[in-house]
Order: sequence, then C-alpha cells, then structure tokens
Amino acid sequence: MIDEDVAEYTLDRAAGKDSPVLTEVKLESTRKSQISIKSGEVHSVSSSTDSGMYVRVVMKTGIGFASANRISKQTGADLARRAVRLAKAGKRKERVRLSSEKASVADWSVSQRQKLADVSNDDRLSYLKSVDSEMMSSRVKVLGRFFEEADSETYGYFASSEGSRVRSMVPRLRMFCLNTVLSNGETEQSMREWGSTGGWERTAEWAAGAALAEEMVVLKELIEKGKSVKPGEYDLICGPEVAGIAAHESCGHPMEGDRILGREMSQAGKSFVKPKMLGDKIGSKHATVIDDPTVPGSYGYYKYDDEGVKAGPRFLYKKGVINEFLHNRETAGKLRLKSNASSRSSVYDKEPIVRMANTFVAPGNIGEDEMIRSVKNGVFMKSFTEWNIDDKRYNQKYTSREAYFVKNGKLAGPARGCVLEITTPRFWGSLDGVSKKVEFNAAECGKGDPMQGIAVFTGGPMLRLRGVHLK
Amino acid sequence: MSGLKEKASELVDVALEEGAKDVAVEVFDTSIDQIRFSNSMIDISNHWSELHAHVFVAVAGRTMASGVRDLRKGAGTVRLIVKHARASPVNKDYGGIASGRFKYKRSQVDKRIQSLRNPAKFVLDAIDGAVSTGAPDVGGTFFVRNSKWGIASSKGAFAEDGNASMDLSVRAFTQPEASGQAVLVATNLDKMRARKTGVRAAELAVSAKNPVPGEEGRFDLVMEPFFLGGIVGATGGMASALAVELGMSMFTKKMGKRVASEAVTLVDDPMTRSMSRRMFDHEGKPARRNVVIEKGVLKTYLHNTSTAKRMKKKSTASTGPMVATQFSMPSEPMMFHPVLVGGDMKVDEMIADVRDGLYINNTWYTRFQNYSTGDFSTIPRDAVLRIRNGEIVGAVKNVRVSDNLMRFWKNMDALSKSNEEIYWWDEAAPPAHLPTARSRKMNITRSS
Repeated sequence: MIDEDVAEYTLDRAAGKDSPVLTEVKLESTRKSQISIKSGEVHSVSSSTDSGMYVRVVMKTGIGFASANRISKQTGADLARRAVRLAKAGKRKERVRLSSEKASVADWSVSQRQKLADVSNDDRLSYLKSVDSEMMSSRVKVLGRFFEEADSETYGYFASSEGSRVRSMVPRLRMFCLNTVLSNGETEQSMREWGSTGGWERTAEWAAGAALAEEMVVLKELIEKGKSVKPGEYDLICGPEVAGIAAHESCGHPMEGDRILGREMSQAGKSFVKPKMLGDKIGSKHATVIDDPTVPGSYGYYKYDDEGVKAGPRFLYKKGVINEFLHNRETAGKLRLKSNASSRSSVYDKEPIVRMANTFVAPGNIGEDEMIRSVKNGVFMKSFTEWNIDDKRYNQKYTSREAYFVKNGKLAGPARGCVLEITTPRFWGSLDGVSKKVEFNAAECGKGDPMQGIAVFTGGPMLRLRGVHLK
Repeated sequence: MSGLKEKASELVDVALEEGAKDVAVEVFDTSIDQIRFSNSMIDISNHWSELHAHVFVAVAGRTMASGVRDLRKGAGTVRLIVKHARASPVNKDYGGIASGRFKYKRSQVDKRIQSLRNPAKFVLDAIDGAVSTGAPDVGGTFFVRNSKWGIASSKGAFAEDGNASMDLSVRAFTQPEASGQAVLVATNLDKMRARKTGVRAAELAVSAKNPVPGEEGRFDLVMEPFFLGGIVGATGGMASALAVELGMSMFTKKMGKRVASEAVTLVDDPMTRSMSRRMFDHEGKPARRNVVIEKGVLKTYLHNTSTAKRMKKKSTASTGPMVATQFSMPSEPMMFHPVLVGGDMKVDEMIADVRDGLYINNTWYTRFQNYSTGDFSTIPRDAVLRIRNGEIVGAVKNVRVSDNLMRFWKNMDALSKSNEEIYWWDEAAPPAHLPTARSRKMNITRSS
C-alpha cells in the first residue's frame, strides 16, 4: 500500500522553499498484467508492479515537475527541491495564473465483482483463446490473429498545498486484436479494442468473440462483393464507431484549452477554435457532443482529476454551438474561467495535462432502422480503418472498414474503401438527424511530450449527414 | 550509478538459482531534463531520474517479461517473476535468446552534455532566433538525455553502454496558418546550434505565409528529412519479421524483390553516432549494420532470436525492449537507427527539375488503410510550398498525401547528398539520418 505520510512530508518540505503558488504531490502504485497470443499460441506474457511519485510546483515564474520511480520521504524531499528549482528557471514574463478551485477531500474507487488481482494467467489465456476460437467459428480465412489482454489496478493518492487529499483505486482492462481476412488473394484488416474500468466480469459484457466472428464474414464479403463508391454527393449515415471518432477528433481535441491557448503548438498542434469563439455556431442544431468522465464502467472513467477537481459532464458542442472548452486550472486561469476537471496524467512520471475522457455525440430521437429508411441514395459507413486529421483539427479523413450502399431506404450491398474527407464545420453542419442509441468504443488517445497514451471512450448514436462528398 | 552490468548479472544469477533456463536482464539508469515552451515562453521544466530493470526469464517452455521498477527489491522481484513464469502457459513461439561469446564495441559520450547546468539558455536562444527572423509565435521542446544501461544474460551477454544527447524541436508561426518546424539532434555539445534551429523554423514560416488551399491531383513531392522521419519509421516497422507474421507488412513475400526504386538504400545502423546509438540489442547480441533495402531490393527482415528461428534465419540483432513499451510489443524486432543513404543531388537541383509539385517541411498522422498493401495517407504540416516549372511560387494548405507506401518508394527518383539526424516527438521516430528526397506523381487530396 502507499505510505501517504510521504505526501504530507513532501508538501512540508516544498512549503519552505520560495513560497510556491501551489505544490501538488501524487503517489501512485500500479500492478499490471499482460498476455498476448498469435495464431492461437502464446506470444508474450508479462507482469509488473510500478510505484512512484511526482511533485509539481507552480510559481509565478513557471512550473516545475519532477518524478521518480520510488516513494519515500527522502525521494519526496529531493523532488520538491528539484521542482522548485525548475519552476524558478522558467523565467516567464507572463505569470502563471491558476483558476481558484475548492479543495477536495475524497476517497473513490471503481468496484470489481471479479477482482483483476485474482485472475490467473491461465484465465487470461483461456479468455483470449475463447475469443479467437469464436471468431474462427466463422470459417473465414484469417491471417495473423493477434490478441492481447492487459489489465491493471492503480492506487493513487493526491495531495496539494491547498488542502486537497484524494485517494483512488482504478481497475482497468482492455483487449486489443489485429486480424487480416484473406480471400481471392486480397486482404481486409481489422484492428479492434475493447476496454472498461471494473473487474474481470467486463470481459463477458464485451462479447468480443461474437462481434469478431460477424466482422470476419463481413470483411470476406467486402472483398468478394464490395464495390467502390463513385465519387460524388451522397447522404451518409455514420455508425456509432464513426460518430465516436468524429466526436473525439473534430470536437474533443479542438476544444482542449491547452491547444486553444497554444501550449501544444509544437507537437499535437493548435486548434481552429479560438477563445473568442465561445458561443459561435459550428454545426446544425443536432450537433451536441459531450465529454463525461463519470460514465459508469467507461474506459476513461474518473471521479476527480489530477488536480483534485471533481469531474462531471462537459457539453463541448451544444445544439451546434461551441459551448465549453476542456480545462485544467492553468488554461481556465488564463481565460478567467473555472476548471472542468480535465487534468489527467497517464502515469506518475508524466505531467498532468488537458485530456478528454469519454467523448460522444448526444442521442436524438430517430430509430436506427428509420434512419436507413430515410436515405434515398447514400452510404452507411458503419466502421472505419484509416483516419487522420490536421493539427488544427479542421481537415479530417475517415476511410470505411464496413460500409454499405443505401438505395431507396434499403441496404444495397457492401461499399469498399469509401472515403469521407471533410472539414469540421462541414461535418457537423451537414448533420440533420441523430439516432436514439449511443454505443461506445475504447481507445487510447495520444498527446503530450513525452507522449501520454490515455484511456478514453469514443461514442455516439448513428448520424445522418446530408449531401456530403464521398469518394 | 555504475556497475549496471554487474547488477544485471546478480539478478541473472538469482533467476538461475530459482530454476530459470534462459535469463536476460537489462538495467537502465537514466536522467532526462526537458523544457517545453509555447507562445515564445517556457511553460514547464521537467526532470526524470530513474533506475530500473527489464527482466526476461524462460522456464520449462514458459516465458515471462517484467519491469523491475524498484531495484532495492530486485532479488525478491526476480524470484517472483520466475514463480509467475512457472505458472504461465507454455509459449510455443519462443525460440531462445542470443547465445555466444560476445565481443562488444565501446562507445563514447560527450561528458559536457552529462554535466550541462543551464538548458534553458538553449531554449531562449532558439526563441530569440525565430522571433528575430520574423516569427513572433514560437513553441517547442528541448531535451537533454543521459542514459546508461547494462545487460547480462544466461547465454553470454555481459556489457554496458551509454549515451548523452540533446534534441531541440522548434515550431514557429508567422501567421495563424503559416508555420515552419525544424529540429536539431546533437550528441556533441558543440553541434547544438539552438539559435540556428529557431532561425530555420522561422525562415520556413516566412516562406509559408499567405497559404492558399492546395489542389487535388498528382504532384512531385520534394520532402525534407523531417517529412521522411515518420515515413521511414513506418517503413522500418514493416521490415520487422513480427510485422510480417502478423500480416502488418507490405513486405510479406517480397524478399529479394523490388520494393523501391534503384535510388533507395535503407539501412539500420545502430552503431552510427546518434541519439539512438547502441552497441547491443535487448538480448545482448552485439549490434550490426543491416541493409534492409539495397538499391530498391528487399534484402532482409529484422529478427530477434525467436522470429529468426521460426523463419529459419539468423538473428539480425534487432531485438527491441523485452518489456512492452507504448510503441512496441515485448522483444519486437525493430530498427534502432534507420539511415536512408543519400544520393548525388542538391536540394535546389531537385526542385529545379520539378514542373508541378510541392516542397514539404513536415508531416504527421500517417495512418494505413491496410498495412499489407501499404495504402496510407499522411498530412503535410508546416511549410508546404508550391513548385511550378522548377521554382517555388507560394504556399498551400489543407492537403493530404493519399497514396501507397510502396509506390512512394518506387517513385523516389532523387536523394540529396546531405543528410541530418532527425527526431521529433513520436512522429519522426525512431531517430534517423535522412536526406531530402523526391517522389514523383504522388496523389494529393483535400477536404470537400
């Protein structure tokens, strides 16, 4: 267990050094297990326990961050001394301004019915083999067949010089797989991920084997019967997976306060969104995108962020209007707003920065079948493979994995390699209908330098875009 | 800390006493300082100091890899790892670790980098260089990396290595949509020219002013080394034998066949002086220079001992970290330091011979529709300059290269004599020595 006295001792040691505006100490201990199989056989097995701490010191002259892979009072004192020195070295002309927030004292955790710590590697292997076996019951020829399961339990203790004391325990698990379908000498590929917070019981909820078996058949049909889309204007129905990636890439990222203010300018980039654009129109009235860390069981779940601020839903785009940026205390302070608990650090040796959690398009009132029936000449892009977006988050591309032509309200055969290459306002401005049922997908979001991969959900219902250019 | 290989050897002995058959232990001692800056000011200064180990054991056909983060508890943790390995399923993929009486080359580091006291000076110089060249909005990162690592194995590995390097990345804006980016990697303090890097980024940003939306169609691309960093990284990943096994490579069934133009020779050269220089792989096998593509022909995949055994080849000493990282699977064969061998042209000559094309500074977000075919797209960023009839005539924006990676290499017809070491974030990675290059008739697309 974590020796929380180390945090108190470290705060005391930092307090006497040049009067920082704020000192934060995070202690963290994580147990991890991982197993992978390739073509049905074990490929790798690993496990580890990692404990460490960081000290972040905010001074008027800058911010200093120091971490070490050990937890002790001596380490805390050393890190405090170093973080103060680094904060002083910043020599900023413009002083760091943090938003004022109420200190939190809390103890939160995610419950597990089947504790991850009690799962054996044989259990993990049996699970992966069962998914592989169920997928192969499709009798489709699949190459590679790589499956990896990884799970962790992270104990954290956050303490700040302002009085926050937050104890947490987060169990998290994921399964990732790579599969290549071969037919007629051609291939189609699938990379899928499932993830949750909670215990081993989540693996059953994923129903990954059945989903993959169905997908292998679909990809085989795509190779054998799929046709290219003739470039032109179509109505497009996006499945929840495509809605989710669009919500993440062209709403969540451009609405991150640190991008908007330029702090990520040399890596992940800036944003087409500027501070003065709050309240501006970005899409149709159907475009409401929410980021909510508190979705129960979600992969990106948390109750308090890494600055001790209590989390809740953030309405980023609301009825087509730029409504709320994602903020930590630094970005909120700069704009004289309040933090909305978006500060996350992927692990104790990384600086907490502005991050998404679970970003999704809000549901509407159209039935899924009704939405298909409403399209005369279009494409239903259920899922995607290749995607990317520019660093101002304005020009994006989604290439279909599973897609179908829609003719007179009915699915009319598989469409292969359908490409949507579109601007952000055009995407959200073309949205004229949203279905009822929201579905989520797990993903790892990358940002920061050094890179911090962090657990998120992307999600949404089905979206109907009118008159967009497909190729 | 010194004595890293001795510490590794102690842990190997513990594992052997517990009954492990194969053991490899690598101990790392790293100290990294980083300064991040944006809006022409320093945002945060970071420091990381870590001493830790990677342990790999094989016992009775079972394997286990684990990070040992707290070396004070090293022996106890290694005993636990062997115990966990015994309780794990049999790994039929496993083919052993490198075995032999190895001899290692020695490497030297610039001790002045190890004792650097005021890294902020370089950042302020870079910012000043960019601002004084006409780019008022400047951001980037500056790293000072000092690392040592020692390895020992039950099969003969026993060595120590280290490196000291600095890498600076500067992105400068002259307008909201006009930017340039430059990087500089140095393993010699005298070669850290921070101001010059800032000036270079700003010069590109000045040339990128007033961009107009780019056109769709086929264009000749003249690409800076920076642009090539990510493309070479993706290509190197596909040369891994594991990627081939997983169906994640366009090089499957291409051994001995043409995969690039005759102008292209791609080498992995871990021993060249660079920020990713290393004298042995993560099994402890002495590093070697591997020619992956020679004059356009695929010559080898990259192997660890297990993939080599499965494919009936010899290891190329390309074993990656035994414990998974953010970007690699455990022991995945990888390129450590790609070198794209230069040609005989000057950059100006390459541009002069383009009738309709683009000169591109940088790219990001390279993604594949299908790794086995190589269909991909990537998004040029920073200075994207229009070439008409051999001359740069202005800047463009909002374009994407949407094509096929093997076609990209097959259409490469010119490379510059000069090259430079490139590393940026995790996009232009791993660190590589690259020239400027030209590929003909690449497909450019844009948003509707």
